[in-house]
Formats: sequence, C-alpha cells, structure tokens
Amino acid sequence: MTDVAIPVEHAPAEHHEAGHASSLGLSNTKLAFWLFLGSECLLFGALISTYLLSVGNFVGQVVAGNPRVVSTMPAEIMNEIAEKGTVNGFFDIPFTSASSFILLMSSLTMVLAHKAVTESNYRASKIWLSATALLGATFISGQVYEFTVFYREGLYYDGNLFGSAFYTLTGFHGAHVTIGILMLVALLIMAFKGKLQADRAETVEIIGLYWHFVDVVWVLIFTVVYLIP
Amino acid sequence: MAHTAHDNEHGAHPTEKQYWMVFVILVLFTAVEVAWSFMGFEGAVLVVPLLVMMTIKFFLVAGAFMHLYFDLKLLNGRLFTWAFAGAIVLAGAVYAAVIASFRFNI
Repeated sequence: MTDVAIPVEHAPAEHHEAGHASSLGLSNTKLAFWLFLGSECLLFGALISTYLLSVGNFVGQVVAGNPRVVSTMPAEIMNEIAEKGTVNGFFDIPFTSASSFILLMSSLTMVLAHKAVTESNYRASKIWLSATALLGATFISGQVYEFTVFYREGLYYDGNLFGSAFYTLTGFHGAHVTIGILMLVALLIMAFKGKLQADRAETVEIIGLYWHFVDVVWVLIFTVVYLIP
Repeated sequence: MAHTAHDNEHGAHPTEKQYWMVFVILVLFTAVEVAWSFMGFEGAVLVVPLLVMMTIKFFLVAGAFMHLYFDLKLLNGRLFTWAFAGAIVLAGAVYAAVIASFRFNI
C-alpha cells in the first residue's frame, strides 16, 4: 500500500478476506453458499411435496369415510374436515399472518444490518442485528405456541398423516430459523467485541442470504400450507 | 449517498429507501393474500391469485433482499441469468409433474 489517499470508489476490495472475487465476479464463498441454498431448496421442495401428498391422502380418506383412518383428533374436528374437505379450518390464519409479518420485518432489518456494516455504521449494525435476532425469536415463540395449541387439540406428530407432515415441514423450518438466530447471536458477539468491521461485510451478507432464504421458504409455506385449501 | 468499495464489487445494491419500499410491497401482498383467502372464493379463483402473489413475493425477496438480481448482473450475464431462470423453470416443471403423477395416479 502507498501513503497516497485512495478514494473509496477506487479502494481495493481489501475487506473481502472471507472470500476473494473469482473470475465470475463473485467470491467463491458466496457462490458456494448459493450452491448450499440450492440443496436446501431440494430439501424443502421434498418436504412441501410430502406435506401436500400426505394431507391430500389423509383428507381424501376422511372425506371418503374410510373407517381405517387413524387419527387422534377429536370427532368434531374430524367431522369438520370430512364436511369441508380441507384441514385449513384447523389453522389460526390471523395469528400465522402476524408471524409472517414478523419474519418479513426481520428480513428488512437483516438487509439494513448488512448495509450498516458495509457503510461502517457499527452502532446501527448492532441495532439492526439485535432487531433481526429478536424478531426471529418472536417468530419461533409463536411457532412453539402454535404447536402447543395444536397438540392440546389432539394433533400429534404420530397421530395421523396430517400431523406427521405438518410438524415435519414447519418443524424443519423452525429449526432453520433457530440456527439463523444462533448465527445472528454470533455476529452480535463479534460486533460488541469490535470484530465486525466493514472487512467482514461478506460474512454478514452470507448469513443474511441464509436468513432471507428462511424467509422465502416461509413465504411458500404460508401460502401453500395455510392459505390454500 | 457515498459509494462504498463494497458497492463497487457487488454492483449497485438497493438504497435503504428501496429496501423499505420492497418491505411495504411484501406486507401489502401478504395482507391481500390473507384477505383473498377469507373472501369465500373456491377453486382456481382462490388458488391462482394466491400462487401469483406468492411468486411475486418470492422473487422480491430473492431479487432485492438476497441481491440475486444484482449478483446475476455481475455474473456477466445473460448466460447465468438464463441458466438460473432455466433451472427454476425446470425445477418447477419437475415438481408439478411429480405432484400430478400422484394426483392422477399416472
């Protein structure tokens, strides 16, 4: 490096120690992370497909009045499913809508945290990272509450096909959110130790990619599982 | 706003105001989705608009928040843009075919 001041516009990308830009223009770390997210798409694609097929099968059997259908849910709920031909009456849509809003909000705070780090606004980055982690924790609390309510209403993991598919899909998503929160907490610890400088912007961006992916998956789950009968 | 080195390397990412706008659009679409599901529609009238709004939300998050729109431009390319779009279309087609094969007992 020379002693000559270099305008920011022409400064070398010295802060990208996490991954050097490849000939494609993006760092290998980021490209690798996109590949990882591709594999996650396959996982959630399989889980969503399994949910649709399992619930379709379950509802079909209930509507057809198959006496061999095993379910731990109360008779009145089973009658409602048989009558309406859908399990959607089981869901609390206003509550889940609020959860969706919280997760969307957390995506916004995540991009604002990344932007703050790139602009070396470290106070703002701590605030936005904390907000993202708190919103994620609120979403998870909502999911735990929802699971508790469903359990009390007789929807067990091993109670019927609907329960197994529902808890597996939403549980996997919840586990991903929880892992995201842990990564955010790790970032916050770095930030408070003063180790989250602009040279770590790509680390924040990659954790942000993970967080937004979790949000995107919820966008799909919310519509396909909760809204579409 | 000052141009940062990061912006140079990663293309021009959205401004804070644009991020807020995307968020507001996402919330509006979510509100319309929920309202639509309570309007008592059935069949395609219910499902198709919900799927369209879901797809728009998907691409808004992936394009703006995940910087995919800007990164694809940076990857030089039409080739990568088309490869990515092709992969999404292919995945969607395979997904639909598998679901259809179960639905219609093919």
